Amino acid sequence: MSHDQLQPADAGDVRAAFTRRSLFRGAGALAAGSIVADAARSAAAAPSVRLEGALEIELSINGAAQKVKVEPRTTLLNALRNHCSPPLTGAKLVCDRGSCGACTVHVDGRPVYSCMTLAIDAVGKKVTTVEGLAKGGELTEVQRAICEHDGSMCGFCTPGFVMSITACLERKPDATLDEIKHACAGNLCRCGTYPHLFDAALAAGRALRAKGGK
Amino acid sequence: MSLDPRALALQEEQPPRPAAPGKKWVKSVRVQNGIDTEVWEEVDADAGSSGPSWGARADLRLLNHDLRRIDGPDKVTGRAVFTHDVRLAGMAFAQVLRCPHPWAKIVRIDLEAAKKVPGVLGAVVLEGEEVKWLGRPIVAVAADTPEHAEDGVRALVVEYDVQRFAITPEQSQAPDAPKIAGNRDNVRVHETEGELGAVEQALGECDAVVEGTWRIPVQHHACLETHGVVVDYRGGDSATVYASTQGTFTINSDAARKLDLKGARVTAVVEHMGGGFGAKFGMGLEGDAACKLSKELGRPVHMLFDRASEFLAAGNRAGGVHVLKAGAKKSGELHAFMAQVERHGGVGPGSNQKQPYIYRPATSYTQVKSVLTNTDSSRAMRAPGHPQMSFAMEGLMDDLAYAIGMDPLEFRVRNVPPDRRTTYERQLRLCAELIGWNKHPHRTAPDRSEGELKVGIGFALATWGGGGGPECKVEVRLLPDGSVEVYSGTQDLGTGTRTYVAAIVAEELGLELAQVTPHIGRSTYGAANASGGSTTTASLAPAVKHAAWNARKQLFEHVSTLIGVKPESLRCVGGRIQDVNDPDSNWIGFKEACAAVGGKGISAQGEWQRNLAGSGVGGAQAAKVRVDTLTGEIEVLHMVGVQDCGLVMNRMATRSQLNGGMIQALSYGLFEERVVDPDLGLVLNANLEDYKIAGCKEIGLVQAVLDDGDDNRGVIGMAEPAVVPGQSAIANAIMNACGARLREMPLTSDKLLMALRGAKRG
Repeated sequence: MSHDQLQPADAGDVRAAFTRRSLFRGAGALAAGSIVADAARSAAAAPSVRLEGALEIELSINGAAQKVKVEPRTTLLNALRNHCSPPLTGAKLVCDRGSCGACTVHVDGRPVYSCMTLAIDAVGKKVTTVEGLAKGGELTEVQRAICEHDGSMCGFCTPGFVMSITACLERKPDATLDEIKHACAGNLCRCGTYPHLFDAALAAGRALRAKGGK
Repeated sequence: MSLDPRALALQEEQPPRPAAPGKKWVKSVRVQNGIDTEVWEEVDADAGSSGPSWGARADLRLLNHDLRRIDGPDKVTGRAVFTHDVRLAGMAFAQVLRCPHPWAKIVRIDLEAAKKVPGVLGAVVLEGEEVKWLGRPIVAVAADTPEHAEDGVRALVVEYDVQRFAITPEQSQAPDAPKIAGNRDNVRVHETEGELGAVEQALGECDAVVEGTWRIPVQHHACLETHGVVVDYRGGDSATVYASTQGTFTINSDAARKLDLKGARVTAVVEHMGGGFGAKFGMGLEGDAACKLSKELGRPVHMLFDRASEFLAAGNRAGGVHVLKAGAKKSGELHAFMAQVERHGGVGPGSNQKQPYIYRPATSYTQVKSVLTNTDSSRAMRAPGHPQMSFAMEGLMDDLAYAIGMDPLEFRVRNVPPDRRTTYERQLRLCAELIGWNKHPHRTAPDRSEGELKVGIGFALATWGGGGGPECKVEVRLLPDGSVEVYSGTQDLGTGTRTYVAAIVAEELGLELAQVTPHIGRSTYGAANASGGSTTTASLAPAVKHAAWNARKQLFEHVSTLIGVKPESLRCVGGRIQDVNDPDSNWIGFKEACAAVGGKGISAQGEWQRNLAGSGVGGAQAAKVRVDTLTGEIEVLHMVGVQDCGLVMNRMATRSQLNGGMIQALSYGLFEERVVDPDLGLVLNANLEDYKIAGCKEIGLVQAVLDDGDDNRGVIGMAEPAVVPGQSAIANAIMNACGARLREMPLTSDKLLMALRGAKRG
């Protein structure tokens, strides 16, 4: 995708919807997955829709509908952290441009960078955040394994890794070490917890397979 | 002055004078000028004899074992609240405008347009009329949302009078360079040690002489949680400041000054913090901004740097140039050594870097100078100065070993300080075994044979002081319902402080880990030192132990009368307090004992105990790499770290830190470098895709081994030594693999290919 494709027919009208930052995000979307790319494409194809100021939208977050007031440019990440009630601050704002994975959430079951996704593009989709994984306070196998293998130090990257590993193992509970590394290649950890996270992911896969085999 | 390090060590073999009555001399390791040095300290002669002791290691149930972090579940569910996550009613979000010039005088600032931007609540000008580095915050804007704050920043009008500047050390050393620090020269000689003439003569006596220039780029801390605070001051005489900091108590004092309040009336809160690595002491300009805004607006202000500010205005590890020349004798003696060290710390002096690092040449000469530039000042970064010194010195050591045809491992053993040879040798030999050195075919010369994919192994050492000090005050409370609470204002940087704090108390009271609740990260709790220099655990753990020991003693006084057993015959075992002589019939449950104490419960204080802490650690690391001599690709296959640290609090968390040190060093060695345009002064990679840090796919097998060989020591910090030698071991492994000596980090493919071409031509 090029910047040209993002230019709407009536650029003046939609400028409020696409700031320099969102254009930038769109330009990086090829690497980040198709969620943002789709959004940008549909917006470009429908330039007559003028989005400006605060909008009330309804998001489906962790199984519950939630009305939030956001701007067209508000990212899903900022909507979760700053506009939800109570605030969902598990997903972290770190790089703000799809480089580190700390903001990873699931949209319709797929891991996405919520800093690269506009909140308005999550309308009609099922958003799951790290807060929504443990049901009834019981940790998931991935969460439990990360605790058991010391897969977090400062913990700022941890929610992102939890979401990436969870998505990987949901797709493929017998993921190999290389597949786990691949699934987490978009997540950065500065403390260097990777080896213990890998141990945890492999252990969680084993636990999930044991459960599935029951 | 002629200074022979070995002579210095000999001079200090004996204490400086006889001990005073009731005192004795003990040897401690202290970091002085970035090099740890053994010093004599006079202490109470009976220290440790009647107070708490860690006991025999074999008797420990919790400490020195793998413990699951107490706050693990909070971190994996998103419940853990970091400063970034603090959300308060009416809270404003702030961002800063950064100076776009490396040196400018600020002529005019117009806030009006910004203040009219929808959502903007206020704007304040930060102190300083002249800015000497690009990226320094100038104005802060607060708004109802982060997006509106950014709009406000964009609407600011600032007029600059741009000055002539110097970005590179070469530019600032030019004859007509602008003087960055007033009338002072941009170049400053910090120290000169040794006699050049003596070293030159000694070089003539050597069987082999090698030399080289090692170039070290500026590294960024790149903490995932950026710097910042949430200041909640709504008028009146008190305020709360949530901070991403390495020092709870550095925040309340700084904030009190800025808010013009009494220190005790400002509460600093550090529930969780997302990485510091040396860059987060006290409040920076971001804290000043938040205080000003909160005071002006009368509402809480969330002022956390964005990612670009984190790169531009939150510190870095100083770069440098180390020009080394040294000679060895065929016997393996490092006979002569000289170094010219240049530190690049931006507008600051750069961190401690000198030479020779660790190894003890017979004669040496070192000159250290710093070169100022118009870039952000360096700050402390995990083991300040050591990774830089290590990169140059360890490379030189391998080059020398190969030049005399000696195994670099044996050459190291031969030249480490004699008093630490046993430790280093044990650690090196374990590294060698684990990484496969003993079966490696190229141990006395690099593999210079033809071939596309080549594998090599390299080693390097670390040293650090890591001792503790009497800075922590800890309280242990036993409540009538049997609950046990521990209070310390300390902060947890991700090392697992909460967990070992609880474990120490549980161990002392014969309880399970889950029965003790730790409370940390609040300046209303007992004083604690800031986390710098790997001193947190060695300062805090002894104070926690002392408080728990005092609590137990008080509890025993009560129990003694209850069950008619002398306090000295009581033991805490498995949730009971029992008579050591008749444990099965004469006991009382811990809960019942607490209930018997009555409504007031027990509150016990603890302070640092010298006998419970140690100092001075080594550490060895090895790396195995595969290089592709056609493409220049460098892949680290395996890293081994063997680290001593006295009594380990939590083995699993300590292995995590050792892993992390190796990975950060790998990242430093292979990827990290601040890139600045030399003409414009723009930092070209102030973001996390252009400034690369190691991810999942860049690390190979990472193996952390805790060395218990010197097992009689107390608690010692180990975060810093873990990060020192990795990049040096990798560079040495590349040399071993293909004969290419890379003397400039990051160790990238282009440099490897150039070096291989040079090696072939040469």
